Amino acid sequence: MAETASVTNPTSEAISRRGFLKLAWGALAAFLGGTAASTLRFLFPNVVYEPSQKFNAGPVAEYPMGISLKWMREQRVWIVRKENGLFAMWGRCTHLGCTPNWFEGEKRFRCPCHGSNFNPEGDVIAGPAPKPLWHCKIEMAANGDLIVDKAILENRPGFRENAPYFVEYKA
Amino acid sequence: MAGSTQTPETPKTNGLEALLAKITGNGFKLPSNADEAKKLVTNSQVWRSVFRGGVWKNTPRDRAAHIIGNVWLHLHPVRVRPRALKITYSWGMGGISFWLFLLLTISGILLMFYYRPSPDMAYRDMKDLEFAVSYGWFWRNMHRWGAHAMVITVILHMIRVFLTGAYKSPREFNWVIGVVLLSLTLFLSFTGYLLPWDQLALWAVTVGTNMAGATPFLGNEGPFSALLNIRINNDVRFGLLGGTTVGEATLIRFYVLHCVFVPVIAGALLMLHFWRIRKDSFSAAPYSPNEEKVEVWPNLIAREYVAAALTTVAILVWTLLINAPLEEAANPTVTPNPSKAPWYFLGLQELLVYFDPWIAGVLLPNLIIVGLCAIPYIDRNPKGVGYYAWKERPFANTMFLFGVAMWFILIYIGYACRGPAWAWYWPWENWNVHKAPPPATWNIPNLVGGPMMALYFALGIGLPRLIKKELDWRVAIPTTALLSITAGLSLKIFHTLLVNKMDFIAQNIPHFGLGGFVLVSVFLFITIFFGFLMPQRYIREAPFFAIYGPTMTLALLTIGVILKMGARLGFNIKYVFSIPQVNFNI
Repeated sequence: MAETASVTNPTSEAISRRGFLKLAWGALAAFLGGTAASTLRFLFPNVVYEPSQKFNAGPVAEYPMGISLKWMREQRVWIVRKENGLFAMWGRCTHLGCTPNWFEGEKRFRCPCHGSNFNPEGDVIAGPAPKPLWHCKIEMAANGDLIVDKAILENRPGFRENAPYFVEYKA
Repeated sequence: MAGSTQTPETPKTNGLEALLAKITGNGFKLPSNADEAKKLVTNSQVWRSVFRGGVWKNTPRDRAAHIIGNVWLHLHPVRVRPRALKITYSWGMGGISFWLFLLLTISGILLMFYYRPSPDMAYRDMKDLEFAVSYGWFWRNMHRWGAHAMVITVILHMIRVFLTGAYKSPREFNWVIGVVLLSLTLFLSFTGYLLPWDQLALWAVTVGTNMAGATPFLGNEGPFSALLNIRINNDVRFGLLGGTTVGEATLIRFYVLHCVFVPVIAGALLMLHFWRIRKDSFSAAPYSPNEEKVEVWPNLIAREYVAAALTTVAILVWTLLINAPLEEAANPTVTPNPSKAPWYFLGLQELLVYFDPWIAGVLLPNLIIVGLCAIPYIDRNPKGVGYYAWKERPFANTMFLFGVAMWFILIYIGYACRGPAWAWYWPWENWNVHKAPPPATWNIPNLVGGPMMALYFALGIGLPRLIKKELDWRVAIPTTALLSITAGLSLKIFHTLLVNKMDFIAQNIPHFGLGGFVLVSVFLFITIFFGFLMPQRYIREAPFFAIYGPTMTLALLTIGVILKMGARLGFNIKYVFSIPQVNFNI
């Protein structure tokens, strides 16, 4: 008897009308939320067709003392040679990403977009840039070519002067 | 010629008439004059089926039906108060902005027939439009100048609505929609700016999207991004660009945003905007007793057509006289020097010189938008709805115009006073003249700068409220002006005395001449006037949390921007307060 009563009595069903509606609205909200999230995810590509950040900058012996603009147009990188070796600096202003110009007479990099000034090491002298310019990973291949990787960067003094951001070299 | 005489109607015509009568099945008569011909056409079933409403007899009923029964006109009311028609009241800027939106839609769709959004082809297609396609230059010029004009008219529309208090209850939310539409207008300009794929385009968008990269939490160069594991290839900038740099993925994204996504959203909001104007009795202009409303057709519609025609003529002249700029093809490694954003973003570009990118590029623009949206909810003054109320709303009008003026001064500095390497050149100076590189900047130590800022906000919020007495401006203004000049003068004297004695001053503030004296005096007086005298006189007794606090916060932030600019331009101060670990650089 008790069993049949529980089947016929609507209030003792597993789910009430109110509960069902709550569940249904909840499911709709979850569905719409999931759709929104997946649409947002859709806008972030998984594959990008961008050029490699790594390039061969040629024989180390070809670089004179000072700042070389040789690769600026193609790779946006300055190769800087000092007494004891070389480093590569990314030509992207740390403020908002314009390419600073090197002024030999002033010994400064100066950015055309908001006027940031940097010294030859990449440290900020004036203007709004919040951080020093980035030094790129640089290695010397067995044949004496410099291999620069713009995807691996460092700008902290004390770290950027060491491998792999600096190549020891004396002519 | 001489032999030909007028012949009576030939039987042939009667034959045609008879034939038509047979076909139509009733007595058909060919028209014998123009009026009859017109009647024949307008009474025909075909005409009637196209144009509803029967024969136009120009009765009040006809004129009302013309508005109600016409889908394009029905967002108008049938009758309006005469004050709403006055051009000196409305400036016509809302309607003109909408007409420009339509012109831009037409010219934009035409340009789409030739333009392919890919880095290999976009720039060549621009050159083709300019030199190879018949009248391609015409539509491109019109699209570019129409866009510039629309930015101007939307801003003027906002200023007009503010000055006439037309955002007050019940129109608060329509003002908010208007602010969103202003932002969308600017975003449409920004996305369209990339499409020519020239140097102007690439670098404006590089700078603009790098600001997104500085967003707190969500941008890879912004503060706290490490907490969410945000990198260069999953941050908000990556989503916007479709890559790590402005490239082919960015071009197609901006193309879709510019041509489809944003116009559709803007169009939907425009409908909402117009609908609410209509529902809120069209004009905020107050009722006057015994006022007789006038008919929208023809009074308002005719004015709208004339405004549209004049706007079109102005754009046509602009289009015919000046070509839209097109620089060299985009080069992602070489930045033009100087590199300038379009004029309406130059204020922002100039602002970016003084603060960390996320503060100037993300926080301040968002504060401006939120601040604008908040205006109707902060301004509870019931007076001045629907008319220019200089006497009844002195505080609101002055502070708003102060903000607008500041924005345009920033634009002017960026436009006229910045040369190569973004160095300061006066408008009359030649860019070829070599300028010494800027002196090294210095930071105020946090232990000094922090308390300075705290004091600024504490005094700024406290002083106007604590002085309960009404100050006599005839005394207060000369006194504070004199105070400002004295402060500038004493700084000048101190500097002259100390510059050779203190290394710190010689190194960090080598020059402090007449310009420095003027800068300090003027900036100080601006601060005292807008930050103390105005609020002290007008809002010192306003409720603290609902009105006084938010108003003073926005005012002090605005004035703070000016003070920071002065600190940089006059004293080479990079940051007043700086926590580099979280990019909190002010």
